[in-house]
Amino acid sequence: MKAQKRRLKLLLILLILLVSGLLLSLLEGSVETSIKDFWDLLFNNDKTHAIIFELRLSRALLAFLVGASLSLSGAILQGYFQNPMAGPFVVGVSSGASFGAVLAIFLGLNIYILGFPLQSIFAFASGFAIVSLIYLLSQRKGIFKIETLLLTGIAAGALASALTSFFIFLKSESYEQAVFWLLGSFALSDWTQISAVFPYFILCFIVAQFLAKDMNLLALGDDTAQSLGCAVNRVRKIFLVISTLLAASSVSVSGIIGFVGLIVPHWIRILIGPDHRCLFFFSSLAGGTLLVYSDLLARTLLFPTELPIGIITAAVGAPFFIYLLNQRR
Amino acid sequence: MIIKKTQAVFLIFVLAVPVFGIQNKIIIDDLGYSHVIDSPPKRIISLAPNITEILFALGLGEKVVGVTRYCDYPREAKQKEKIGGMTNPSLEKIIALNPDLIVGFQGNTLRILERLRSLHLPVFAIEMGKTIESVFLIINTIGAITQKEEIAKILIQSLKNKYAKIQSALQDIQHEPKVFITLHGMGLWTCGKDSFIDDLVRKAKGLNIAGKIQRRWLPYNREQLIHEDPEFIIIISNSQEEFSKTKEWIKKKAHLESIRAVEKENIYFLDANLATRPGPRIIDALDHLARILHPQYFETEK
Repeated sequence: MKAQKRRLKLLLILLILLVSGLLLSLLEGSVETSIKDFWDLLFNNDKTHAIIFELRLSRALLAFLVGASLSLSGAILQGYFQNPMAGPFVVGVSSGASFGAVLAIFLGLNIYILGFPLQSIFAFASGFAIVSLIYLLSQRKGIFKIETLLLTGIAAGALASALTSFFIFLKSESYEQAVFWLLGSFALSDWTQISAVFPYFILCFIVAQFLAKDMNLLALGDDTAQSLGCAVNRVRKIFLVISTLLAASSVSVSGIIGFVGLIVPHWIRILIGPDHRCLFFFSSLAGGTLLVYSDLLARTLLFPTELPIGIITAAVGAPFFIYLLNQRR
Repeated sequence: MIIKKTQAVFLIFVLAVPVFGIQNKIIIDDLGYSHVIDSPPKRIISLAPNITEILFALGLGEKVVGVTRYCDYPREAKQKEKIGGMTNPSLEKIIALNPDLIVGFQGNTLRILERLRSLHLPVFAIEMGKTIESVFLIINTIGAITQKEEIAKILIQSLKNKYAKIQSALQDIQHEPKVFITLHGMGLWTCGKDSFIDDLVRKAKGLNIAGKIQRRWLPYNREQLIHEDPEFIIIISNSQEEFSKTKEWIKKKAHLESIRAVEKENIYFLDANLATRPGPRIIDALDHLARILHPQYFETEK
């Protein structure tokens, strides 16, 4: 089978890229570490252990998880809206989620409800509000319009970003905070953040994979899907919830990292076709790998200072977005 | 016999522990974390320029192993390893320097202080305060954690003496002139009530026109500036060059000709390194500012 061979090839390439990206992330940093240090790590040496294990490894894995979450979220949204230009950033979910997180911080609500930090709950709620708004607006006219999706997303995202900046300005006047929430960073990653994102990702991934067949049916149109045994309404709702959950959990640990959820699923679809059963898996893998490399660039490009990672993903993603728009004409 | 010997050693040890234990003071930092003071720190990292200045003033220059890239005073501080900026230090560098004391402040952002703590690094956080007097407290605290209490006391006393001298020179002043403090550049950034520069102006017997606003830094409204009509404009800058540029801009292009300070050219330079760092040189900043606002009260002493 040609298609299968193709997927296998892509899987191999992605895995090699990912492993070498992770290794590079462990070896590169503002403190020079050699391969020898790496071996030492297995035995003792507290200092190198802290640098490689606590800082670099947690950072690389968090970058991977966030990249995978955003890409999966994007793959779901693109399938949902049947539009390659959808994505958590374009649709405005990311901005909405970051507004929720900042609002929770502004209100000083550092509490947990049923084990969930309120910050994530706020992020999810305001991200979900934006998705719902877009969903309602796109449904109202009967026929679904790309312009409605994109323009509503842009407007809602801009509003959310403005509100984010407003609350940051009110509270701390700290430029750093604004940069973190609006452009993203993994500079302060740690293992607790990984444990905050990982369960959401796994849960959403399993659910998405489970419903991937239904997503394929949705591509035939809701009526056809319904007649083929897909519970369209329920499936749509579930997809909307998990795509928001993925984006919100990512944003609440890393700030907004744009365009990953847009370009990766789109590019994977070109490579392996539109079957969501494979698309979800490959998008996650490729998105995670892309962010591992982006973060590597973010922290080494302007050494010893760091770049916000959103600058790098936007530098790659925005031209790609324009290219997509042009293609559709 | 051997047993008895070891028993004796053990006994001495047990007896000695409480004696040493008394010396193990515990100091609580401004984030509420306690720090046990045992042996004096040998590898100190400073996360702010004013902390660096205080450490050097306490004679701890040799023990400082890392500073921020803004730490340029005293000159020896420039030779130290740089750990990055105040709000984005390299965590890797900090770990690699193997510090036994890291002194930071809330402006490093709580996120960074907490992250350092989660890496089991010995972070001591200091609240900078909003007044000149808080500088004495900061010096006192840093003296305590580094076990330089005596030198700290002497330093504080000499600063207080200088401070008292300025206060007595200014005691008869009736008229407190209106002052507009601004950062160099074209933003008309000024400092409000929450900034200790506001306190500096007050102690120099001036009236900060932005002193009612509950913020540290803010861009000031130009109309409001014309309305307030300050008698003095103080430009906080890093160099004379920056100062002249901003002064020219205020005089010619900012449409502020109607202000008294501009009319009389009462536009003065204040060294940013002195005025924005709550460290040992803050009294020098006060002295400069007082002489700018009230030169006549200092004429006799020369």
